[in-house]
Amino acid sequence: MSVFCSPPAFSGLTALAMYLLTCEMSTSPSAGLLAAAFMGITPGYISRSVAGSYDNEAIAIFLLVFTFYLWIKAVKNGSIMWGALTALFYGYMVSAWGGYVFITNLIPLHVFVLICMGRYSSRTYIAYTTWYALGTLGSMQIPFVGFLPIRNSDHMSALGVFGLIQLVAFADFIRGFLPGKQFQKLLTSMILLIVGLGFGGLILLSVSGVIAPWSGRFYSLWDTGYAKIHIPIIASVSEHQPTAWPAFFFDLNFLIWLFPAGVFLCFQKLKDEHVFVIIYAVLSSYFAGVMVRLMLTLTPIVCVAAGLALSGVLDQFLVMSKPTAETKAKANAKDSKAYGKMSSPVVGIYSYFSKAFVSGSMTLYLLMFVAHCTWVTSNAYSSPSVVLASRLPDGSQHIIDDYREAYYWLRQNTPDNAKIMSWWDYGYQIGGMADRPTLVDNNTWNNTHIATVGKAMSSREEVSYPILRQHDVDYVLVVFGGLLGYSGDDLNKFLWMVRIAEGIWPDEIKERDFFTARGEYRVDDEATPTMKNSLMYKMSYYNYQSLFPPGQAVDRVRGTKVPTESPTLDTMEEAFTSENWIIRIFKVKDLDNLGRDHSNAVAFDKGLKRKRAAKRKGPRVLRTE
Amino acid sequence: MRWYLALLVSAFAAAVNALSSSGSRLLVVLDDTTDKSAYSILWSDLEGRGYDLSFESPKSDKLSLFEHGERAYDHLLILPPKSKGLGPNLTPKNILDFMNQDGNIILALSGKASTSSAISSLLLEVDIHLSNDRSAVVIDHFNYDTISAAEKHDVLLLERPAPLRPDVKAFFDGEGVLALPHVAPQTLGSNSQLISPILRAPATAYAYNPKEEMPSPDDIEATGSQLNVVSAVQALNSARFVVLGSVEALEDQWFSGSVKAPNGKKVPTVNREFAKQLTGWAFKETGILKVGKIEHHLATDGEVAAEDMNPKIYRVKNETVFNIEISEYSYDKWVPFEVPAEDELQLEFTMLSPFHRLALKPTVRTETSAVYSTQFTTPDQHGIFSFRVDYKRPFLTNIEEKHEVTVRHFAHDEYPRSWAITGGWVWIAGLWSVIGGFLAFVVVWLYSAPVADKVKKTQ
Repeated sequence: MSVFCSPPAFSGLTALAMYLLTCEMSTSPSAGLLAAAFMGITPGYISRSVAGSYDNEAIAIFLLVFTFYLWIKAVKNGSIMWGALTALFYGYMVSAWGGYVFITNLIPLHVFVLICMGRYSSRTYIAYTTWYALGTLGSMQIPFVGFLPIRNSDHMSALGVFGLIQLVAFADFIRGFLPGKQFQKLLTSMILLIVGLGFGGLILLSVSGVIAPWSGRFYSLWDTGYAKIHIPIIASVSEHQPTAWPAFFFDLNFLIWLFPAGVFLCFQKLKDEHVFVIIYAVLSSYFAGVMVRLMLTLTPIVCVAAGLALSGVLDQFLVMSKPTAETKAKANAKDSKAYGKMSSPVVGIYSYFSKAFVSGSMTLYLLMFVAHCTWVTSNAYSSPSVVLASRLPDGSQHIIDDYREAYYWLRQNTPDNAKIMSWWDYGYQIGGMADRPTLVDNNTWNNTHIATVGKAMSSREEVSYPILRQHDVDYVLVVFGGLLGYSGDDLNKFLWMVRIAEGIWPDEIKERDFFTARGEYRVDDEATPTMKNSLMYKMSYYNYQSLFPPGQAVDRVRGTKVPTESPTLDTMEEAFTSENWIIRIFKVKDLDNLGRDHSNAVAFDKGLKRKRAAKRKGPRVLRTE
Repeated sequence: MRWYLALLVSAFAAAVNALSSSGSRLLVVLDDTTDKSAYSILWSDLEGRGYDLSFESPKSDKLSLFEHGERAYDHLLILPPKSKGLGPNLTPKNILDFMNQDGNIILALSGKASTSSAISSLLLEVDIHLSNDRSAVVIDHFNYDTISAAEKHDVLLLERPAPLRPDVKAFFDGEGVLALPHVAPQTLGSNSQLISPILRAPATAYAYNPKEEMPSPDDIEATGSQLNVVSAVQALNSARFVVLGSVEALEDQWFSGSVKAPNGKKVPTVNREFAKQLTGWAFKETGILKVGKIEHHLATDGEVAAEDMNPKIYRVKNETVFNIEISEYSYDKWVPFEVPAEDELQLEFTMLSPFHRLALKPTVRTETSAVYSTQFTTPDQHGIFSFRVDYKRPFLTNIEEKHEVTVRHFAHDEYPRSWAITGGWVWIAGLWSVIGGFLAFVVVWLYSAPVADKVKKTQ
């Protein structure tokens, strides 16, 4: 129950945090309310926060927004208390989501930009040093992070800015004592010295390996082609693909065109906190373009900017009162007093027609936004991904429930500690719904392990079997959509398994071997021998031919005929196949009782006579005990 | 509960006298009833040890190793049939299925007649090979019986075998001479680890087919001690399969006869004792290991409370004790198992691969069992580990034990306190010096009011 409800609960907290954050940006209270309302229903965030979607990102976005709110507070007030609170929530964020690196880099960048703009103040110094010292200590308490903050390049910018701000503070201090000219000299020489030392030191430490190089995930943010070549595991995830343009509109609707307007408003005011919004907006819109998944980090800032923009519009157009003559006069008098310039008329929109027109169209947009969000949420983000729904020709709904059927079978029919091997996509589902340990799951920080599964799936049985034995695998689960035409099946993901395995064992697994001479990925009679002998292929098509009249077996996903003969499996036996053949589970056989190869044992059981070993060539092998 | 069970079993064992550890139903397959009387001493010995013997002809329709899908017999003794093959009820597949269901088999061959191809293909499945023409006899011109085979030299006289290796227990040793007439030789493949020779031919022996010319040296498959007289297979489920090359060695005539080696004295044979050892081993009266209690717990000085025994979870760097109780069955009783002098019983603490592989040492001996223990520190790695004891040796039944435990990392309150870490003293000193300094500063500040004021006032 708590798991079920926590995403919406955190979603509510996110809306509150969003209100607080936006209120820091604007004097108008309506901006905060609008931003909070947007955050509550925008599909970009609701995709993670619907009830029942168990995802730590729902928690992480709340922490992200709230940490930023506290940071803005700290910068504004220059208060140790707010800085410490920022660090506290930053620590919570580190424990919740790997995306904490975004905060780790955004806050130093904010400070850096402020310093460059000549806006250094003791408030910034107090806020940043407090946050950095406490936050780094806090993050180091998380076992996964450990000493990364001082060893990893991803965290170096925070450390660098920490050093920089000390120098700037020192320079600021010195300036109070020295005359201008001497100070200039001292400053330039110091800057040269420090930059040289720091840069040289960084290179030295990176080369000697004290500081870990940038992680691959970081590179893939800058070079969209990088992941495909070097870390296929990241590229293989659909959420890590570059975002298509319609996705922005799909997830954010009319906020996406209010967003630039809001950023423009920030430029107009350009206080410290507005600088933060601008930096955040620029960075996250770039990242959201690189990866679909990072749309999530873009959403909060879009809501802030859109809230600012829309409140600006509504504040102007919803106020009914015309300025009276008195106020006009007052204003004129004030102006003339203050600036001693010619009196200027009061500028404003006082026509009821334009007010009604603009606020009416804005209301329309808002209504459409609500309708859009409701529609997206119900169609795209509320359907559980384990149950597939389809429409029958007569319009009634047909539920395809193979996943749950198979997971329940595992739960009921296998021993408690039976280990299941499957591609990692199903790891958490098997863990949660079948309650069985899996070899790999959706936690992908150990790439080698996933590559091992990829290797087992893409190798011959003789190679795979020792791997399965070594890892104590009892059952192997594959997803096969050939009968139903379900395109998200393992054979369609198979090339990624091959690529990931090739990344670790380039000598044993070669992607090229899975393509025909003409470069086609085929599963029919013309499939390459490597393909046909791979465990994945064999498990997918095992006995599939028996469903069809001889010679007419068809794979509906790949739209081809499959070979007439069923593949043979020596080291496994079919344990379970779900109603629509989407899930197939195979049991790994034990070692042969009499110490034979499985292929020999199967041949013997079929009644084939083994031939005596042909005359050996070369010297005789003597048996020694 | 376990106590009651053990009592019940021991009471049962005592009631029926000596008995195999795995049942007493023994099926003897022999060709026709005239053969039966030639082995009367063997039958009475077996019955004396508590076996229920049934005799069937391979031709018989009633012969079936299984009944309702279960084994109908516990053990099987197959004497070589006169006719070709073992008939439709004893196909190689049936016989292997019998083994897969824990049945034990002795298959006797004879060099007098050629062995059927069905038996040859059965043996091929367990990687035991007969000679190419399946009708060779082992000849030895140095170790033969001068009384019965003065001309043909085909009655071998052999010592009882010493242990196979220094680290393997001896089950077939003893004094005396064995007489083995008309031995059909077997050779063992070099691939299988489940087969082992019980009795090998002497270095001077060779295989010879009286009906054929001597083959060219290139075609000879094996000579000397590569030829086996008696070989054993122990499957992974510990089912046993013995191939005896000379069925005549079991006849009454050789149980009580006397033999004389060249340049030797006339001595009585010890075939009867050897037959007891051989059938005893094959039918699981010897070489049976049983694992009793397995206990693991944290190392403590005193007694371990029952609730602390076999915990499901350990912490990294825990000092841990592991005990395993092992008994060995010897003909009619359980005795403490003793690991051979040059061998070791090992415990592995594994997660994917062993983090520890330690020798288990005997600590406690009871009347029926020995407890082997070791103590070690769990590795500095958290995860699901398992205690594994994997002991597979020739002639002993397999021990394969696996017990999963979780190893957790330190809880937050289990790390050493700051003052216990010498490296932390710098920081502690810094901390207290700041506090002390601040206090000192406050004191100085409070009690060193400027004197100048007083001077002013007085002025």
